[in-house]
This record gives sequence, structure tokens and C-alpha cells, in this order.
Amino acid sequence: MSNNSYAIMEQQPSIKGLANTPLVNVVRGAIPGPNAVGIEEHDDVGHLVLRGDATLLASAVTEVLDLAFPDQPLSSCSRDKTCIRWISPDEWLVTVPGTETSSVESSLRDAIVGHVAIVNVSGGQTIVHLTGKHASDVLMKSTSYDVHELNFPTGKVITTTLAQAQVIIRRLDTDQFELVIRRSFADYIWSWLRDAATEFGVNG
Amino acid sequence: MSQSNRIPGGRCVDYGSEINFRFNGRSLKGYKGDTLASALLANEIKIVGRSFKYGRPRGVMSAGSEEPNAILQLGANPASQVPNVRATQQQIFNGLTSRTTNGWPSVDFDVMSLVGLVAGKLMPPGFYYKTLMFPQFLWHTYERIVRRGAGIGIAPTEPDPDRYDKINRHCDLLIIGAGPAGLAAALIASKTSARVILLDEHDEAGGTLLYSNDIIEGLPGIDWVKQITAELNAAANVDLLTRTTAVGYHDQNFIVAHERRTDHLADVAPAGFARQRVHRIRARHVILATGAHERPLVFANNDVPGCMQASAVSAYINGYGVRPGKRLVLMTTNDNAYEAAFDWIESGGESAVVVDIRTSVNSELLKRAATAGIRTLTGSAVFEVKGKRQVKAALVCGLDAERNALIGNDETIPADIIASSGGWSPVVHLSCHTGIKPDWREDIAAFVPGATNQKMLTAGAVSGDFSLSAALRQGASAAATILADCGFDLEDKATTSCQEHTVGMFQPCFHIPHRKPTSRSPAQFVDYQLDVTAAAIELATREGFESIEHVKRYTALGFGTDQGKISNVNGIAIAARSTGRSISETGTTMFRPNYTPVSFGAMAGRDVDELFQPKRYTAMQPWHEQAGALFEDVGQWKRPWYYPQTGESLQDAINRECLAVRSGVGILDASTLGKIDIQGPDAREFLNRIYTNAWMKLGIGKCRYGLMCGEDGMIMDDGVTACLADNHFVMTTTTGGAARVLEWLELWHQTEWPELEVYFNTVTDHWATATLSGPGSRALLAELTDLDLDPTNFPFMDWREAMVADIPARVFRISFTGELSYEINVNANYGLTLWRRLIEVGEKHNLTPYGTETMHALRAEKGFIIVGQDTDGSVTPEDIGMEWAIARRKQFSFIGRRGMAREDCQRQQRKQLVGLLPVNGDVVLPEGSQIVFDKPHQLPAKMVGHVTSSYYSAVLGRSFALALIQGGLGRMDETVQVSIGPDTWETAEITASVFYDPKGEQQHVQ
Repeated sequence: MSNNSYAIMEQQPSIKGLANTPLVNVVRGAIPGPNAVGIEEHDDVGHLVLRGDATLLASAVTEVLDLAFPDQPLSSCSRDKTCIRWISPDEWLVTVPGTETSSVESSLRDAIVGHVAIVNVSGGQTIVHLTGKHASDVLMKSTSYDVHELNFPTGKVITTTLAQAQVIIRRLDTDQFELVIRRSFADYIWSWLRDAATEFGVNG
Repeated sequence: MSQSNRIPGGRCVDYGSEINFRFNGRSLKGYKGDTLASALLANEIKIVGRSFKYGRPRGVMSAGSEEPNAILQLGANPASQVPNVRATQQQIFNGLTSRTTNGWPSVDFDVMSLVGLVAGKLMPPGFYYKTLMFPQFLWHTYERIVRRGAGIGIAPTEPDPDRYDKINRHCDLLIIGAGPAGLAAALIASKTSARVILLDEHDEAGGTLLYSNDIIEGLPGIDWVKQITAELNAAANVDLLTRTTAVGYHDQNFIVAHERRTDHLADVAPAGFARQRVHRIRARHVILATGAHERPLVFANNDVPGCMQASAVSAYINGYGVRPGKRLVLMTTNDNAYEAAFDWIESGGESAVVVDIRTSVNSELLKRAATAGIRTLTGSAVFEVKGKRQVKAALVCGLDAERNALIGNDETIPADIIASSGGWSPVVHLSCHTGIKPDWREDIAAFVPGATNQKMLTAGAVSGDFSLSAALRQGASAAATILADCGFDLEDKATTSCQEHTVGMFQPCFHIPHRKPTSRSPAQFVDYQLDVTAAAIELATREGFESIEHVKRYTALGFGTDQGKISNVNGIAIAARSTGRSISETGTTMFRPNYTPVSFGAMAGRDVDELFQPKRYTAMQPWHEQAGALFEDVGQWKRPWYYPQTGESLQDAINRECLAVRSGVGILDASTLGKIDIQGPDAREFLNRIYTNAWMKLGIGKCRYGLMCGEDGMIMDDGVTACLADNHFVMTTTTGGAARVLEWLELWHQTEWPELEVYFNTVTDHWATATLSGPGSRALLAELTDLDLDPTNFPFMDWREAMVADIPARVFRISFTGELSYEINVNANYGLTLWRRLIEVGEKHNLTPYGTETMHALRAEKGFIIVGQDTDGSVTPEDIGMEWAIARRKQFSFIGRRGMAREDCQRQQRKQLVGLLPVNGDVVLPEGSQIVFDKPHQLPAKMVGHVTSSYYSAVLGRSFALALIQGGLGRMDETVQVSIGPDTWETAEITASVFYDPKGEQQHVQ
């Protein structure tokens, strides 16, 4: 489905059940504790990175995704399983249900006029939700960014480091965070989070 | 007798909870809440250590972090050893095992003390330098003996069983110290919405109020503390952290604090709990409310166990319910210290004598003392202590007006505790960490924090005002100022009232004269931990060390783990007097982090063991593990190194894997290669500038090898880039170079060529890559794809989109082995499935998985370089015979063009990449071996190059190597000598760098 300018590729097989998440090889299971932290993967998600000028992207993206475009840096807009995160001056991370990835990519390519990049990175990262009363404590052990609700309210998105790896964090609610982590670092981050949460206990 | 010094009324101990602990092998009892120091004193343990240099017996001196003597070794087993623990800050728990650190063979009989006895005079500062340096060759012998007698504590010999933790905190206001000033500040702040952290190094908040008899808001100080602490704990915006020491104060109000979370509970932390935690606090504002340390006076034999700070006496009586003796002599320069004598008598002490160096003393105070039955001597001083292993008596005498000489007759006053107070030293240490020198204030004879450019205020004793009312007032007002500055509304500005003591004139005094000159009198200790005496400081200044920094280094004053908390001011004062300068002219040495010692475990935090650094895995990792692969570290990646079969050596496995690729088909996980998606109308132009070779004509569906240089013309990375569409490319980089190359592209785009319309995104993790290589790869792939593999339709250096094993894929016909190869790229979520399908179908093709070692051998046979192995940042494309990859006719220049045209890059005798064939084909030259043209007659010989890659080639049946050799390309067929060990040389012949299939027929196979 490539045009001459950009190669757009349907990357999902039509046969189901062939995928493995980046966390296929990790240790799972509960660690008992008084206020266990939930550590849970959300897979089968399509990840598209958009690069470009906000003015080129905003209306086209809204039209394709039927979703408001973030009007402030580090903010996000989401509906159901679709989310747009403004993650760097000229960079947005869009997540959609996995099966829609390449059709959304094509629609965006068709709708946007001008110089932008659209990159499917669905295989390169995954999403982990960190939940519970002590979720923010686990983050405080892991990142120097100030995750207090006054500084990091629901809906805000930041790209920072988690321990020694890169992460995109979005606050979903007072006690709920979404981490977007890179595939090759997934084992490390998973082990780190479980280790840091041990004193509270772990569900997951 | 058990706890014979125990008395009722200790505010910090729970008399109902008895605790059993061990000290130097003895079983002892204390109460919950006791520090190790208070419990030892309760049990009448006088000697808690031997001094560092002279082996003199030493006792507990203080009740806080300033303790110089009671530095103990903790730990019940070899793994849980903790050295450098201040007994004054360590609570006891059941099973606590402690011992003294100095003293050989034992603390009660120490060989070094015999040395100290006779050698006190013989071991002045610089003793080791002056004496043991001659003859020089014997130093190592001396050192063994000296080391045996010295040293503070031992390191654990087994892995630490505990976990440690780090946490990041942010706040509007950080208050360091939860004494009256800190509590008053926190109380105000707690009533706003400001984010507040209050921390204190003690086991509980309260500071001096834990031990004093002050009345606040009509309540005993301790009750007020409990009330405020409860309020603060209930406030959602305040974090109150005890047992947490601010150990470092860095720029921009970044404070590092060290919390001992379970050290008071057990030898090893409860399961799942971090023993200690480092808090990395970023504060908008800081209030320093660190209080002050009481300064003891310097007099002869002032280190005999039983000598302590006056305030410590009160702390042990009121705080811990321990009166450390029966008969007290207390020497003071101020009113405040009288409280210790009152506490002594009120707690049932047999006698107390106050020796006041002042001639004029507040009559109310003297009257109060008389009423309590305390004898007072004014204008007098304790100038010497009698007793060796413990205090027996004080020698007291009158002082002249200048306090430079003794007048009148000596009086011997029996005593078992001699307390002294020379005034208070504000705890300025943290303020100094940011580079601020403290200011000397003559009126209070103390250093106070200097002006700072941090957003920091001081409150309480640290500011130089030692009264309780000032602490409460300054704490509240500092908080109010900061909160207003941050824009918080203050509801409650009410101040806290307290009962004020009248404070008489304070008389600065540091060093009590003796009948004999300082150098002849019994030792007068300034720095207890490092055995620095007044005489040593005077000697240092006489020997020309006049700067206080030099005095410090020559005498070791303040060099101990206590950083001279109670000794520095006395030492500076003595140095000042001895050089005829004022204290402010003499100045102070710098205090540096850490304020108190921090264990290595706490510094490491969770970055240990498996989490020491990230291990990056590809999508195929589970299969590699099942297949028994051994792994090689490539950057942070774990790559399969080789797949040994039962009984195989490394070389056996490599030979088998290599031959399989050359004659059949092998499979390699190439997922770790860096991959960068490049999009935009100017993508092609950008590639043309960043690579040395040409990119304008690369068509859609085509791939090209690219060479990337730095501005200096030296090779920095290489890889294949494919044209996906007119405005769309995907670049591959070396595994280790992925992040660096992406930054390099962004750097040039953002700073030099922002006008080019192009974006770069990493897709390294998104694509998983399985490489089939070998003459059998086409037949295998054909079974799993609908792709037309006919070489005329899918030639070498082309790529195609296709379904492979029912998975959408991009297949690149490129080769790093010199054989027919297909690199199959799929969304990494399907990488493991693809790999397993290839292995499954490959079985009948005898498909052989191979690792990085085989990949390296195969590529080296073909003379393909590895950037960073065959190049080292000083190698140009021409040096490795790759002129063909330099397109000098590009319209726009390319990076490195000018660099590689420099005269030095063009000279004849540069090191050039060539092949080497050892004459003995069984010898694999070690990589890195140095090369000479002829066997040298004498050393050092002139090195002309080195071996960069070296392997045994299964297909050639012999060893071979790549090497960088001076002018090598012009020396074909000549022989060189390769040094492979001392006096061991191997002869090798220079050849072309392609050893196998030089015409490339295998990879171009039709």
C-alpha cells in the first residue's frame, strides 16, 4: 500500500495469535504486600509516532481520529483506546487499537498536507500500567521527575528516564500511570518495577 | 552489675521493653529507645575504643552525630558488617552485635597504648614521614606493622544481604533539623498548601527539647514536641522524616539525605524492605535549622573516659535515663552548661562541682547552684584529668585575667565524670557544601553560615543565636518569609511562646593553660578521632605550616569520619594564637559532603546485581535461551555468541557454524543493528551529506552500503541504507552506534541544515531481523514466501516487501558473510514466531543457528570491517582501501571531506588495513598484537601496526587476520613479525584483506 513518496506497510498478519509482547520472557506473579502495586501490560496496541509542525497536524489528526488534538505541550487527549500524547516539541505519540494501525497511518498520510513523518513503532514499544496507592512511590524511586499531582496532573505526559532506561509516562488518574517502554528495555524495566515495589507488594 | 547507671525518667526509652545486645562479646541489657552509647553508659562501660594513633582508651563524648570516639563496628556475621557506626546514633535492638574497632589484641589491653605511653612525645605530626621513610625500601615492612595497629573498622567480606533504595523528592520548603526552630517553621508551613519536608538525623523529632527542661506554650518541651509532631504527621502536605541525615547540600538546592530505615530494627532488614534510602531532594527553598554542637574545652588528659560534653550529660540523664557516674565536675564558659549540673543533682547524683572560668557570674545562677548543693568555683579551670582508664579526679586551679596561666594552688577534686563546655559551634557544614565560607563572629566565638546564593535561610542555633525563644521566632519567621515568597496564604502567624532563661555573659575560651608548656604537659586533645593535640598544632605552625589548610593536612585535624565537628574551632583557635593572628584571619577549612558517612550500599541503591545496568534483549531471546546459546555483551545488548552442542569447544562450535553457512544455510539474529527511519523530501540530500558515498540515484527497492565519517575524515559508522520510497529511507547502523548515529543526524539537521525537510526516528526496537545466509538460503526461504526469489527479479542489494511465514516482512538481499543472504525484517511482535517457523522449516535444510563469533569470522574472511574493531577513530576510508566509497563530485560537500584531505591523511606511510597470514596456519594471532617489520635486536622496537581481527577459518583450514600496518597496502607479500608474548614472535605474510571468494561470486550468486 505504498505510494511513491512514503512506504506504508500493513505489518499485522491476518492470522491471529502470532504476536508475542516484549514481556514474553519476564517473571510474573504476585508479591504479597499490604498495598500491592499493580503492574500490568496492555498489549495489542498500535503505536504511531508523528513528527511535524502542530499547525500541519492538528486538524487532520482530529479529523482522522475524531479526537481533539492536544493544545498544550506535554498534554494528551484520549478516547477509549485512542490517545494522542504531545511528547516533544515536534513529536506526538498516537496509540490506537492494534488492528487499526496501518489504516490509521494511511488515513493520516492522506489527510495531512506538508512535511511530516509518520512512523509505525508498534513492535518497538509496549504499555505498562502502574496502579495503586503506592504507584507514585514506585515512580519516585525510579525517576527524578516530580510526579506529585500538583506538578504532574491527570492527562499530563512526560518523556524521561526510568532507572537507566527511557520512558514516556502519562498520569491516568491519581493512582494510575501509563508507562510506554521500549521493547529491548522491557525486561529490565519490568524487573526494576517489581523490585522497587516489593516493599508494598505486587499484583501482576 | 546490670545497668547500674540507669535512672528513671528517660524520655526516649521504654522501660517496659528490655533489649539484649552484645558488645565485645559480652551480653548486655538496655531498653527500647536506647542508643548503643546510652546503653553502654547504663552498663558502666567506660572504654568504647582505643585511639587511632596512641591507642589511648576513649569513652563516649557526646550524644549525637558529632561523636568522635564511640565509632563501633556492627554486624552479627561477615556479610552484615557495618563499620563507622556512631554509637550515639545507633538504636539498640535484640541481637545487636557490636565491637570496638581499634585495640589489638583487645580494647582493654592494647599494645599500641604502650607505644602511646612512651611515644606520645615521640610521635609528633609527620612522624611516619619523618621516621619510617628511611631506608625507603623498608616502608612496606613498616606499613604492615603500622596498619595492624591502626584503622577504623573492617569492610564486610561477604556480599551484602540487604537491598538499598533511592527516592526523588521535590518540595517548596525543605527544613533540615526538627529541633525547636525546625518544628516552629514546619508548623507554620503545615497550615498552607506548600509541599514541605522536615528531616532530622535523630530517632525522633525534638532536637535539644528531648533533653532540656524548657517550657513551651505552658507545656514541658517534650510534650510540645509530641503535640506538634502529631499535627505534622497528620498534615497531608508535610513529610516528616526521622533517622534521615542531610549529608550533602549541592547547587540549586539539591540536597542528598541518607535515611537509616531498618538499622534500628535488626542486623539485616526485614524481607522486601530497603535497609537504607538515599533521598534526592530538590527544594525551592531551604531552612537550615541544624542547631549547634557543644564545644568541649582543651585541657590535659581531656580524653580519659569520663570526659564529655556538658550537654551530653543532660542528654543521657533526661533523654535516656542514664546518669553516667556519681561525681561530676563541670567546667564551663557559659550559663547554659549549669543545666547539666542541675540535672545531675536532681537525678540523684552524689556531688556536682561547677568550675567556671569566668570571674563574674550571674548571682541568681550561683544562688540556684548553692541551693541545689552544687559547689561553684569561679575564675578557675580544670587543667588536668587524673586517671588512666577512667576519670578519677580533676586538678583545678585559678586562672589569671587573660586565662593564659594558672594562679594559686591546685585542688584535686574527686570525680568520675568531667564535663566541659566551651560554648557552641553552629552546625555550618551543610551551608559550606555549596562553596560558602562561614563567617567568624567574635561576640559568640563561633562560625555562622556565610552569605549564600542558594535560596536558603537559617533559623535557630545555627544562625548564632542560641536561645530557645530565638529558635522558635526565627523558625516561624523564616517559614513565613519563604511561604510569602512562594505565594502561599498564611492563615496563622501566631508565634510560639516559651519560658526564657536569662543568659549571662559568655567568655570565649578554648585551651586551658597548664603548669608546663603545651609541648611538655600531658596530652591536651583537640581532635579525638585522629589524636591531634594542642602541642601538635603548635608544632605544625612552628614548622611553617601557617595556613589552616596546611595545618589540617599536616596534623590530620578534622580529617576523621567526624570531620572534626567538635574539634575544628578549638584547633583553629590554637593555630591562630600560635601564629599571632585572629581567628577570622586564620579562617576555616572547607567542609565537604558527606556530613556523616554513607554506606556504599545506599549510594548504589537498586543499581546492583541484575539491575546493575539494563540488559537489552531481542524478540527472539526465549528461543536463544532454550537453544543453549551463550551470550556476548554488545553495548547493553545480549547477543547470542555461539550455540555449543554437547561436548563442543568454542572453536569446534565456530568451525561447525562457519562451515554450515559456507556450504549450507545458517540463521543469525540481526535484530540489534541500529535502524533509523528517515522521512522527508530532503531525506536523500541529507544522506548525501552525511555519508561519504553518493545517494542521489538510489532507486526505490534498492539498498546501498554507506560509510559515515566525522568532520576529521575518520570512519565513525557504517551500514546499509535502503530506499523505501522517494522520500523515505531506512538506515542501519552498527549495534553499538545506533544512539550515537541518531544524535549525529539530529545534530547536523538541527544546528547546520535546519532548512532540509527531513525527520529521523529510531525503529531499532520495532523491527526484528532474522538473517538467512548461505547457498541454501534461497531454497529455505522459498518454502515460506510467495516472493519471487529469482535472482534476476530479486538481485543482490535489492529489498522487497513480502509475506514470510504468513507475516508481512521486508526482505533485504544484502550480505555480511559473503554468501547469498536474506535479511528478513518483521514487526518485532512477530519476530519470535518468524524465527521459530524458519527453524522448523529449516530442519530439513540443516539450518544452523550461528552467533556473533561466527558472524565475525565469516565477515573477516571477506575483509568486511567492523567499525570500532578494525578502525579506532584514526582510520580514513582510504586507509582501509575504500576509496570507492568516497564520492568527491557531490554538488554539496559531505562530512569528512575536508578532514580526509588534510596533509597528514594523505601521507604515504599511514597505517592501512591489510590481511595477514601467519606462516604457521595453526596459530591464531591474539587481537591487539603489536607488529614490527623485522625481529628486533633490542627493545623497545619500533611498532608499525597491530592485529585488529584474527580468527581460525574453517573454510580455509588455517588462521588469518586483519591488521593495520604502516604503508601496508604497498607491502603485499612481505613478511612481518607479530609479538604474541615476551620474546615470542610469529612470522606472518601481508596479503589482501579479502581471504575468501575475492570476486564476490557467492553473494552475487545467480
